[in-house]
Amino acid sequence: MGVKTLLKSGIVLDLYFFKNNRSAFVSMLIWPYLTLGLILGMGAFFGSAESFRQNVGLPVNPLTYFVASTLAMMVSMDVMWGVGGSVLHHRWIGTLPYVLLSPNRTSVTLVFTYVPRYLLTAAIQLAEFAPLVLAVEGLSNGALKLGVMALAATVGMLPLLGFAALFASFLLSIKEESNILSFLNPLILLFSGAFYPAYLLPRWAQLVSAVLPSTYTIELARVAALIGSPELRRVTLLIGALVAMTALYNSASGLVIQAGERRAMREGAI
Amino acid sequence: MAASEALVRVKAVLWLHSLRLWRYRYSFLNMILSEGAWIFMFVLGALLFVPSEKLGVAVKGAFWTIVAWSVVSNFSSLVGGWMDFFISIGMVEEHLVRGFSPFRTLLGRVVTGLSVIVVSLLFMAALVGGAFHVNLLHAESLLLLLLGMGLLAVQSLSYGFTVASVAVRTSVPNNLLEILNLVVVGLLMVPVQALPEGLRLAFLCIPYVAPAHLVKLATGAGEGLEYAALAVAGVEALAMAAVAVWATKWAIQWVRRNGVRAIGFW
Repeated sequence: MGVKTLLKSGIVLDLYFFKNNRSAFVSMLIWPYLTLGLILGMGAFFGSAESFRQNVGLPVNPLTYFVASTLAMMVSMDVMWGVGGSVLHHRWIGTLPYVLLSPNRTSVTLVFTYVPRYLLTAAIQLAEFAPLVLAVEGLSNGALKLGVMALAATVGMLPLLGFAALFASFLLSIKEESNILSFLNPLILLFSGAFYPAYLLPRWAQLVSAVLPSTYTIELARVAALIGSPELRRVTLLIGALVAMTALYNSASGLVIQAGERRAMREGAI
Repeated sequence: MAASEALVRVKAVLWLHSLRLWRYRYSFLNMILSEGAWIFMFVLGALLFVPSEKLGVAVKGAFWTIVAWSVVSNFSSLVGGWMDFFISIGMVEEHLVRGFSPFRTLLGRVVTGLSVIVVSLLFMAALVGGAFHVNLLHAESLLLLLLGMGLLAVQSLSYGFTVASVAVRTSVPNNLLEILNLVVVGLLMVPVQALPEGLRLAFLCIPYVAPAHLVKLATGAGEGLEYAALAVAGVEALAMAAVAVWATKWAIQWVRRNGVRAIGFW
């Protein structure tokens, strides 16, 4: 069973998931706009765009800023649940022993069956926001900004896969996994600066932010929010950070997940 | 004799839910931590729009809006959502055979709901208040605050019981209910005093809006229409409770004739 088979099974699984869970599909389409509406609505009731620019300290459009934040937040969360949470899902439906015993490494199975879903979900969410961004930013500038967001979603996926696989290995060895994943997800997003820029957080929180790959994904997506054309130097710098994190987290997950698998098999924690 | 039997049953229901709360203490802690973190994240995002001189009032307004939403969301999902679990483990039939309404057992979920709401409220107040140096728990009128929260609890519990009654007959997609919860927070955010005068009373008549306005009045985050909000919230709470009682009776009769549907709320 090669990587191609895993990718194919991932695509088929997702298509049938959407076909058979239409309410989940509709909800997936509605959520990003609801999140965006909630934050912008609260912002409009409690303050103004001018104060927003002053507080952030950058010449940004609040709408594009939160579109980029929402998109990066949604895809980061999707990776965590898609790879890390799939251990939990397999355990619930009784397929985890088969995944552990299959010829491929568990991390490879979890990651490669998930990649098509990630790309599909990210593309759908980007397409959803595209009319709004084009309407606000104009055709050429809007297209450029959507390009930056697409780049952030794609490059940002690579270290996040390793990070989530590390998480999956940890989940293999404990029992109450959903409790950990549920509260760690918002905490990770909080430290990554999902809605509130990481550079405005306290110093100790900025140290945590620095080691999270989602911080750089969100920052890269937000480059799109700057008024005018995105700065190429900053984009390159953030891509560089994401590539370094890809190497770090993916090699670490490769080592750690083996230990997690061995422990799960030895102790029967499946 | 009847009174002592009723007392034993009340004790059994309370014991059941308190014991479950203890056994699922990590889930309980997880719920509080995750709810606190999500809310903190949204509040931080919204406060980026606020000029620094108005931060104190805005933090309070945002915090109590979210607390009101937390009451609505927790009671409707923790009560309504638990029915599916109860159905799936076959407990509805067991209770009916023993002459005890499953909905009375469901009443004990108030213990779980209240615990989650109160501990989350304190946790969030410490988190948000600590970050912005604002005493979020200071109320200008404690009585009005308790009244507002109480009416909000009655309305959301009634909604939870109505959904639980529907769940014994048909499934309600969880995702769409979560979306409904998010729509509610949008409604609760709107300051009544910012609307045109002719619309204010009509807006208060939307479920949850009037009691949430009372909470905002009590904490100094809203102004005006105190008596109108009190009257509307009281009438609505009574009407919603009556609908919930009727729905549970209808559900019991339906289950006795047709049996329980195995797929419920979630």
